[in-house]
Amino acid sequence: MGIVDFVLIGLIVGGAFYLLYRSLWKKKGYCHGCDSAGKCK
Amino acid sequence: MTAPTAARSFPVVETAVLRVAVAGNPNSGKSTLINSLAGTRLHVGNWPGVTVEKKEAALEHRGQRIALIDLPGTYSLSPYTEEEIIARDFLVHDRPDIIVDVVDATNLERNLYLTLQLLELGIPVIVALNIYDEAEKKGYKIDVKAMEAALGVTVVPTVATRKTGMNDLLEAVTGAIAKGSRSLPRSQSYGEDIEAAVKMLTAGIVDRHPALVERYPRRWLALKLMEGDRRVLAEANISGVDSLMKDAVGHLREAHGEDLESLMADARYSLAAGLTREVLQRPSVRKTEMTEKIDRVVLNRFLGIPIFFAAMWFVFKMTFDLSAPFADWLDGAINGPLTRWIEASTNLLHGPDWLVSLMTKGVIAGVGSVLVFVPVIFAMMFFITFLEGSGYMARAAFVMDRAMHSMGLHGKSFIPMILGFGCNVPAQSGTVLWSLYVMGIVLAVLMGILFKRTLFRGESPMFIMELPPYRMPSGRSLAIHTWEKGKHFLIKAGTYILAVSVLVWFLLNLPWGVENKKDSYLGKVGSAIAPVFAPLGFGNWEASSSLIAGVIAKEIVVGTMGEIYVRETEKKPEGPAPTFFEDLREIGTSFASAGREAFTNVISTVGITSLKAEEKEEEATLRSVVAKSFTPLSAYAFMAFVLLYMPCVVAAAAFKHEFGTWKWFGVAFVYQTILAWSVAFIVYQGGKLFGIGG
Ligand SMILES: Nc1nc2c(ncn2[C@@H]2O[C@H](COP(=O)(O)OP(=O)(O)O)[C@@H](O)[C@H]2O)c(=O)[nH]1
Repeated sequence: MGIVDFVLIGLIVGGAFYLLYRSLWKKKGYCHGCDSAGKCK
Repeated sequence: MTAPTAARSFPVVETAVLRVAVAGNPNSGKSTLINSLAGTRLHVGNWPGVTVEKKEAALEHRGQRIALIDLPGTYSLSPYTEEEIIARDFLVHDRPDIIVDVVDATNLERNLYLTLQLLELGIPVIVALNIYDEAEKKGYKIDVKAMEAALGVTVVPTVATRKTGMNDLLEAVTGAIAKGSRSLPRSQSYGEDIEAAVKMLTAGIVDRHPALVERYPRRWLALKLMEGDRRVLAEANISGVDSLMKDAVGHLREAHGEDLESLMADARYSLAAGLTREVLQRPSVRKTEMTEKIDRVVLNRFLGIPIFFAAMWFVFKMTFDLSAPFADWLDGAINGPLTRWIEASTNLLHGPDWLVSLMTKGVIAGVGSVLVFVPVIFAMMFFITFLEGSGYMARAAFVMDRAMHSMGLHGKSFIPMILGFGCNVPAQSGTVLWSLYVMGIVLAVLMGILFKRTLFRGESPMFIMELPPYRMPSGRSLAIHTWEKGKHFLIKAGTYILAVSVLVWFLLNLPWGVENKKDSYLGKVGSAIAPVFAPLGFGNWEASSSLIAGVIAKEIVVGTMGEIYVRETEKKPEGPAPTFFEDLREIGTSFASAGREAFTNVISTVGITSLKAEEKEEEATLRSVVAKSFTPLSAYAFMAFVLLYMPCVVAAAAFKHEFGTWKWFGVAFVYQTILAWSVAFIVYQGGKLFGIGG
């Protein structure tokens, strides 16, 4: 395990948390699957 | 969005953006119309704090900038479903400059019921008389001029599918602004009694509660107070209104009982019927013979509900028969060639070993096992869309509503829940999923009855509506709606399921280099809480760990299981590994055979023959590995638990935004978990008692 691995792990974990935050929390709990009026683009 | 609303009182203000809200019944062609108007300029978001999509588009017509806002499709503006509440809150509080009301010309009466409510708002309305082509084809003669005169609004015939009338519609929109207040609709009369009461109430409100007049359209407020609209009463927070109400509607109450809401619904309904009679000339009756015949069976008081459940069973069965071969194919492609390619390319780039493992045993195992359900989801959305488009879902809603009513519940609010559920629980067979679905409905009804006396008091008037005629949904609309519903699943896979797969991989591999997954952090936590689930039949650490990860979202339960039960690197095939092109060819041929298999399955479902081959020998799919730690019964209990327990991050975010505090979330969380646990307990222990799959 070198320094490169740690940096890489940090980036990956950070990215994952950011993705999670963006897709779930910031969307105010918008659940993509359960809209009952999903309509056109 | 935030443009000034001043444009209403002045003739065209060049720079102001005109805010146009598009309202209409479901299935009136609203989506198609908006697509035709806006094309690619449509921007999709969602209404604050809720699960309903919000579509907006910026247009320009003759130098006038227009912001289109799509309201959810509704039949009414009563406060019972999420869609209705969103639509009316927007209309009442955000006051668009103009409402475009999309009306299905083949279904005038039912659509006018909503139109009448839009007219109450004191906002200029333009009616898009859509599906005009079909009305003409049926021999309907609609007197557009008479309709304009009766409603006091501009009526524009449109055919959204062919983009006919779009320009006229935009002309009418900009024209209405030029006309200023003269474009306000005529106030409709609901009969002497009601109008007298409205008059008295309005005067009283202006007199005693001037602040309210600022917040609500007057006539609308008076009507809502008469209906006893809970939402308005709560929002307006008016105490002194009681005595006012007594004066104004006392005699009405005496004459009609307490239920003024039904009285109002009746008044609107008969007005809509009267208007329809005035403006619409139908050819002699023959048109709905077919529809009526079907409805006599489908809406039958005793057969209605069994038919609904049977229809849903058929949907689930078809879904699985059609999609299972493709799911297997996808599973094979993801775990075979795709895994090999990723492994090879990571090695080629000299990535460290752990990265290879993260990619294959984390991302691919996690996201991949969720992606396997893509064919299932799309097939299911396709069939549901088909039922909606054909007109059957409206009947199902009606039948459910009627049944709920006989138990004193609001039926309409159940329907969205019932439909939305499909995407949450990837199960393994149509019948299993169907039974879970039925269980969900039964539970919802039971809970409804249980809480009726405490939380949700009051009744809604019955949903008395003319139902749309059956029609064959167009291929284009089927494709649009199926894609719209299905794409969310893909978005999920690409966002939080991906993120959690990565994090779960770390949790399964920490402390770094841990030999046995059971000793990893996630495994340890899972083992610690496993005893809680022992009475439910799945007290193993694998299931518990998946449930922990699943508090983020339900699909993640599947993803996490995929990672936990990941097959040890498939035994290397003898001889050289297949080349890239051999892999591709193999994927192609197995896709073709999946197609054949799906076809045979579907044929045999339809019951022509029973060609269906015996369950073929199980390969090392996720299912078969999972089957080792579950019996069919405990797997069923597990799925029931997953269906009912709360994915807390999603829900927590929603609750926080909705109520601004954590308290309700806590209550809901505890309640849901206890409910899920109890149901799974009953399923498992009950099943064992009867000796099923023990
Ligand atoms: N014949 C005809 N069909 C239409 C028209 N507008 C929409 N449709 C069809 O009506 C159905 C419902 O349309 P859709 O836009 O999905 O309705 P929504 O639920 O109101 O968004 C689809 O099958 C459309 O293809 C029209 O002007 N003429």
